[in-house]
Amino acid sequence: MKKNARLAVVVACAMTALLAVAGLAGCSGSSTGSSASSSASTSSYTLVNAGKLTVESDLAYPPLESVNAQTSKPEGFTVDMLSAICSKMGIELNYLPAQKFDNIIPSIKQGGKADVGASSFTITDARKQEIDFTDSYMDSNQGIVTKADSSATTADALNVEGMKIAVQSGTTGEEWVQENLPKATCVPLDDTIGAMNGCEAGQYNAVVADLPVMSYMCKNSYTDLKVAKEIPTGEQYGIVVSKDNPGLTAAINKALQEIKADGTMDSLEKKWFGQTL
Amino acid sequence: MTQRNTSLARRMAQALVACAVAVSMAFCVGVALAPAGAQALTTNKATARPNEQGGDGVIGGENTRLTWEGTVDAGEQVESITLSLPEGASFDGSTTRITVLEGLNRVSVDGTATPAGDTLKVSFATPIPEGSLLRLEVTDMKFPEAGGDYAVGGSYVNQAGQTEALNDSPTVSVIANTPLQRVVTWLDGQAWVSAWNSNAFLGMFLKPQLIVTSLATLFPGWLLCLLIVIVAYPFAIALGLAFAFMKMSRHKPVRAIAIVYINVLRGTPLFLQIYIAFFGLPMLGVNINNTILGIVVMAINSSAYLAEIFRAGIESIPVGQYEAAASLGMNRSQTMVSIILPQTVRRVIPTVTSDFIMSYKDTSLLSSVGVMELMMFAKNLTTVSGNITPYMAAAIFYLIVTLPLSKVVGNIEKRLAHAEKGTGPRPKTTGEATENA
Repeated sequence: MKKNARLAVVVACAMTALLAVAGLAGCSGSSTGSSASSSASTSSYTLVNAGKLTVESDLAYPPLESVNAQTSKPEGFTVDMLSAICSKMGIELNYLPAQKFDNIIPSIKQGGKADVGASSFTITDARKQEIDFTDSYMDSNQGIVTKADSSATTADALNVEGMKIAVQSGTTGEEWVQENLPKATCVPLDDTIGAMNGCEAGQYNAVVADLPVMSYMCKNSYTDLKVAKEIPTGEQYGIVVSKDNPGLTAAINKALQEIKADGTMDSLEKKWFGQTL
Repeated sequence: MTQRNTSLARRMAQALVACAVAVSMAFCVGVALAPAGAQALTTNKATARPNEQGGDGVIGGENTRLTWEGTVDAGEQVESITLSLPEGASFDGSTTRITVLEGLNRVSVDGTATPAGDTLKVSFATPIPEGSLLRLEVTDMKFPEAGGDYAVGGSYVNQAGQTEALNDSPTVSVIANTPLQRVVTWLDGQAWVSAWNSNAFLGMFLKPQLIVTSLATLFPGWLLCLLIVIVAYPFAIALGLAFAFMKMSRHKPVRAIAIVYINVLRGTPLFLQIYIAFFGLPMLGVNINNTILGIVVMAINSSAYLAEIFRAGIESIPVGQYEAAASLGMNRSQTMVSIILPQTVRRVIPTVTSDFIMSYKDTSLLSSVGVMELMMFAKNLTTVSGNITPYMAAAIFYLIVTLPLSKVVGNIEKRLAHAEKGTGPRPKTTGEATENA
């Protein structure tokens, strides 16, 4: 009898602790942020930090988003674009420190940490089941990168037992390798820079990632690597917003329309890609 | 470009072979074939996204994503396209993304997809222009549950309104559904599961579907953990005992060796020792199997702690016991083996058990150097699923061992304590009286 009573106390304690944690998690998800009624937008939305658009990104994807080596500040096409969007919305832009790419969507879905994820996310139906996407801001394709002197440069040559293809974990590039190069070993890494370093060092036979980034990296920092094959996939990038925050998606879409209409987008594309896309 | 042409030519050849199938399929759809129509929408490929939990296979009867690609040849435009799969496949509930590309540039084309059982009709708002690449990504479709190699066929309608057959795609290999996947699918459909998962905390830490898959996926990792610690521990005990005696030795150099061994191993993190063993030895050209090396490192690390536990245990036996043994004419080793050690065992059991539990938990550190143990599987599954539940499943696996172990040892201890204090069965007072007499 005594034993049972003790057990009951232990169970009760455990349940209380669990509920308390669940309660806390629930709170942080719902009560943070304030309604941005001061914003020019008519639709209302919530922000994690009042007056600031808090952004999660992996910041290892130049020229789209990366960390400037001298200033340690985020820079890139997406950063400039978000800054233009924020100024249209009348709020500040606030980048969180770099996150792991595959943690960003779960984190936005969970809420409480950041408002949007902007890390060159391709709009896919599977991701759309988890979170909302804004309208697309850029088109993209995939690219296979190999060493400049490599002979195995085609999809057929790489789809061989023993070939190691480095990708960034959770990306459409990873999906492409799993689907199209089933015989090769797909090595998921935290970021693309690690994949490029490994390929340069000869650890991996190839890297598959978004073409604009691959071309930029091969041209600027990894000169003994080359884009061996362009894979037309016609992907579209969108900004990730929580499904609980449709007002924010609408407000960003509106601002996106505005910067496309007033030529800001074109000038940013010229600045980062040397041409309008 | 030549690469592409040869592959095109090969596929044209395949198309001829598949012609009979294609014709019959076109009849199935119930439309008349245009006479001798040239193939103007060439199927390039069809692939499916792996949907096996913790694996890379495509499982039938489970949601996956089909990617179909075709090229519109010169002089043709495509108004609509119908993809079809063998019976048992299902496009119901799927969503379709349409991508049209000219080279690497996207052409904006809208369309509507109408799934109907094992066929999917996609009508385009504007015809797909000649020379462009058409990609259809059908998310949440299912292949037949039985598994096998499936080709995507179907038909399309050109700008003249004629219906033409599509050549069959290269086949997609599908494996049969597993009982585990069925459980997960069943859970997917339950209302209480959705309600449970809609809570941010419960959905992230204790998602029922992932608990099921995690328990199955982590199982081999758990076995390896057990193997490592169960094989390592006897060695650790033997080594520990040896060093305990060395530390109590009368000879100074022997004592010094034991003290250095024990203090260095106890004074540095196990994590560091693992790194030194796993990264240092290969650089010396010593390549040992990862699991065996893991066992060795765990055994050596534990032995240092056990040496101290045993020494303290042995030294805690009162001097009177040695004197009593000596008065019976026992020499030192006899005293040790028959008098001191049996009493020591009783005293050190609680601390040795907690050390065993510690070692068992510490096997998790081996995940950082690529030993495929419990944490490694949990980490991989978390990366794939973006959910914390696999870690909770790993916690369950650790607790399965540690909780009963604590309980069992508690019982043993109680029994030993009773025996030592003499509270066990004793002779009755009457018997005592006769004995005295």
